[in-house]
Amino acid sequence: MNAELYLLGRRIDMGARARRRGLVVVIYTVLAVLMAGFWFIDHWRVSLLYLYMAAMVVNSVFLGGTAFGGLIRPFRSKPRSPYAFKSPLLQNLRWGFYPVPELDENDYRNDERELRQRDHAHYQAYRVLIVGLGLLWCASIGVLSTHVPSVLGLLPAQQLLYGFIVALLVVSLTLPQAILLWSEPDMEEETAE
Amino acid sequence: MQENESNAPPPGESGLYNRIAVLRAERGISRQTLADAVGVNYQTIGFLERGDYGPSLKLAFSIAAYFALPVEAIFSTKPFQPLSQQVYGTGKSKVPQKSEPDMEDSE
Repeated sequence: MNAELYLLGRRIDMGARARRRGLVVVIYTVLAVLMAGFWFIDHWRVSLLYLYMAAMVVNSVFLGGTAFGGLIRPFRSKPRSPYAFKSPLLQNLRWGFYPVPELDENDYRNDERELRQRDHAHYQAYRVLIVGLGLLWCASIGVLSTHVPSVLGLLPAQQLLYGFIVALLVVSLTLPQAILLWSEPDMEEETAE
Repeated sequence: MQENESNAPPPGESGLYNRIAVLRAERGISRQTLADAVGVNYQTIGFLERGDYGPSLKLAFSIAAYFALPVEAIFSTKPFQPLSQQVYGTGKSKVPQKSEPDMEDSE
């Protein structure tokens, strides 16, 4: 895990666990607000795609894990392929408007402790998602087998079910990284003797 | 003796005691230098020193090779004897000392 977050050319110290937990709370609050807002726009019919994209942006900029940005090093623990597609637009967005530090080996390689933490975080996320899917399955039996007109007089039950699926999708994209940021203790100074 | 044993600091989550911090201080090596030499992140050295992480065999041997010491001189499942006690013998001291479990067994 990186101790600093690079955001628009600025370095933000995220070594303290309290800060990382704050970031996780803010991210999930924003995603929840977005999800609620998208329901009012089109009942998640098309905006599901925007929510998915928002989760990917959160991963790329803040959380990491799936890309080379963010606090968590890429879970793949392998260097970027030299044959990877490089969009000129994306390159301009990343390197043109603000400085991005040169990547060295340590920026993508996880050591054995980090790999163990990564696997443990995925195990915990898997357990949460299994419980979520189980609840979703139970709810779907109730909703699909009986006529439930609305929940709390506001949200049609089938749309609520669809909302749960959307929420699980977003959570599955971000939860392992969030667990890592939440659970890792305060990071020490690099120059500590 | 049993009382002295209980005075030993807990080994952390890994259940391993180690002398990495002492060896590093003795030789004036920073965490970053050691981390680069053995191929891990500098934070992992901190976790190792506190006993919060138990290294793989490969990492333990890499650290031992770096310090040119046998593995058992750096890692142990039992508390290490203080250096002063090792050098000057186990004379009776007023200060409670950590003891080797082998000694404890022989009593």
